[in-house]
Amino acid sequence: MYLLNDTELLSRLQFALTAMFHILWPVLTIGLSLFLVVLETLWLKTGEPVYYHHARFWSKLLLLNFVVGVVSGLPLEFEFGTNWAPFAVLGGDFFGNILGFEGAMAFMLEAGFVGIMMLGWNRVPKGAHLFATCMVALGASLSSFWIMVANSWMQTPAGGHVVAGQFVIDDYLQAIFNPDALNSVVHMWLACLETSLFVIAGISAWYILRGRMTGFFLHSFKIAVMAAAVVAPLQIGLGDSSGRLVFNHQPAKGAAIEGHWKTNRSGEGADWSLLAWPDRDAQANDWSLSLPDGLSLLATHSLHGKVKGLSAFPRDEQPPALPLLFYSFRLMVAIGFWFLVLTLWTLWRWHGGQLNTPSVAHNHWLLRAWVVSLPLGYLAVECGWIVREVGRQPWLITGILRTTEAASILPPLSVAISLTMYIAVYCVLLVAFLVFVRRLLRAGPESGEASIAERYRFEGRQPV
Amino acid sequence: MTEIHHFLASLWYLLLGGILMLYVITDGFDLGVGVLSLLERDDYRRGVMMAAIGGVWDANETWLVLFGGALFGAFPVVYAVTLHALYIPISAMLFGLILRGVALEFRDHAYNRMWWNFAFGGGSLLAVVAQGYALGCVISGLQVVNGKFTGSIWSWLSPFSTVVAIGVAAGYTLLGGTYLVMKTEGVLQARYCRHSRYAAWIMLFCASAVTLITPLINDYIALRWFSFPDIIYLIVLPCLALFAFVMLLRSLHGGKAHAPFIWSLMIFTSSFAGLASSLYPYLLPPSLTLDGAASSSATLMFMFVGIGMLLPVMLVYNAYQYVVFRGTIKQQE
Repeated sequence: MYLLNDTELLSRLQFALTAMFHILWPVLTIGLSLFLVVLETLWLKTGEPVYYHHARFWSKLLLLNFVVGVVSGLPLEFEFGTNWAPFAVLGGDFFGNILGFEGAMAFMLEAGFVGIMMLGWNRVPKGAHLFATCMVALGASLSSFWIMVANSWMQTPAGGHVVAGQFVIDDYLQAIFNPDALNSVVHMWLACLETSLFVIAGISAWYILRGRMTGFFLHSFKIAVMAAAVVAPLQIGLGDSSGRLVFNHQPAKGAAIEGHWKTNRSGEGADWSLLAWPDRDAQANDWSLSLPDGLSLLATHSLHGKVKGLSAFPRDEQPPALPLLFYSFRLMVAIGFWFLVLTLWTLWRWHGGQLNTPSVAHNHWLLRAWVVSLPLGYLAVECGWIVREVGRQPWLITGILRTTEAASILPPLSVAISLTMYIAVYCVLLVAFLVFVRRLLRAGPESGEASIAERYRFEGRQPV
Repeated sequence: MTEIHHFLASLWYLLLGGILMLYVITDGFDLGVGVLSLLERDDYRRGVMMAAIGGVWDANETWLVLFGGALFGAFPVVYAVTLHALYIPISAMLFGLILRGVALEFRDHAYNRMWWNFAFGGGSLLAVVAQGYALGCVISGLQVVNGKFTGSIWSWLSPFSTVVAIGVAAGYTLLGGTYLVMKTEGVLQARYCRHSRYAAWIMLFCASAVTLITPLINDYIALRWFSFPDIIYLIVLPCLALFAFVMLLRSLHGGKAHAPFIWSLMIFTSSFAGLASSLYPYLLPPSLTLDGAASSSATLMFMFVGIGMLLPVMLVYNAYQYVVFRGTIKQQE
């Protein structure tokens, strides 16, 4: 019954659960709302009804996704006070301020226009509707900006100092644009786009594979592939610079992610472990499969660059759960590269004239690969957040506040009960969401408006 | 320097009061609609109730998010202490808001709507009652030492806060009922007029009880109420609320569509202003003063530029969505 007596651990579990559940939804909201802006703009410019019907279809998915994102975001706004009161007092001057900015500039904008975007199709002129969609997309993206600013300040705090238990800001710009901020803002935003593109393309591929409205879904498939061709390589480049930032500003976290124990001597490179089993007790890897000089190359972009090993840090400054960090990171990177490969494969087929109405259906494996890849973006996002947050431990604010000092003093039972409730409620939400999305997709764009079914019926009936 | 700080802290007290007020009246009516849906047996009518708030509930709820963030930034200690002390009611409120929010969208997709109907009504009621208990706890005062909450995690539960919770539930139901009077016609409208009247009387009863008990349990408020010349300003607000109450009952009997909602809003604004001015200049009397609990002047200023100056813009586009979704439900569909 160790767990039931440890308020701090329970609060950490609860925060991890609520944050990891919440992040699933804004990812698609951000990407899909931008996709809708593209569709609606194309519709207004070209007058092609196919774009209108696409917008109507994808916005149904967005609405279901959006509402879960809204409600699961609420607990996060309050948990800093309920479960992490000492953190709220110490960091409030900056962190609370930024959360307030997020509410005022981003969340309210999104919420103020989402009603019109979803239910206002017949109530406002086309231009006003596009404007509402743009505001929702802008609000969603701005929201990710402020949240990443707040989080990156916890990773690499800057622009102020602690006086009498409170962080006082000296320079706002330095605090907002702390070393980690810009990189992580863009990295997360691209992750949202990439995940959404693979959801859009994955769903489109599923319809094409089943021979339903092939021509219709080739539109969305091609738009997503084109965008992925830009986003996937960019994201890999950004991942690389994020890695170097971590080694510069959070060296213990970097060493933990890579299972790197001993600082390399000058004149020698640090090896990079492809696979290993880091062991905190032994302060070494139980086994590893390494590439010579690899880590120096990754972390410093030179063959013999110095990379500080984890053993150089006192044990109480080393992150916990090393294998989790090590493999979460590798899984995220592998998914990033797989997305690039899949995109290149598809571009090659496209170049070969395979992405047309009759021939696309013959590319079973390609289409199946897209369908299977649909959830991978979410997996990569979760892995990335595990690396980011577990890797920051034992600190809540790097170098300033330890997690153990930051938890509210509460009876463990009260947190255990709220945690159990969150698990139960979130399971219900996830299952209900998946059931309803399945229904939505099975019904397809044909349901509802008869004209759509009529228009696209004969395109898709190809023998597979 | 301290004068500037005091001015900025007071400004944020006012702004936060305004944001919380906007939350209470906007989400108040849609939570009230949720509570009323529990009394509804007919599924079509329940659908009408949900449609009446379908386009606007999300933005209404967002005032709470904005309030949370702005309170966190402007008065971190108050944010920390209050939420820590209110762990149970705040958690309950969050579960309530989660359930009712998803129910509003999920209901349309479900084959068996019974569960989502219950999630909508029950979640709304849970959130409303939890907010009432939280308010009752804040009025009775929290035990704070050195900027840390030191009381029991059950201190929100008392006979007094129960009366407050019933009053808040009745008040939100009144807002929801009069909102529905505005959004419906005929039989439905008459029905919600009746519900609104019951809710109004319960609210009046609870509000009177709370007003009588508060000075007995909170010395600070007693001191503030019964000192000259404050008593003269402070007496105006309950009088306004009573006047609005009389007008509300008249308009409900007279079969007016819009007036009952307007008068309910006036009851809420004057009661709310009465509460806010009773606490000022303390945030959580008697431990936390406004100036002491506030962030640095620089943060307050920065936040005023980033949030305070955006408030008019937020109000404009929030008003715009009410214009888009105006009219009764029958006219809409």
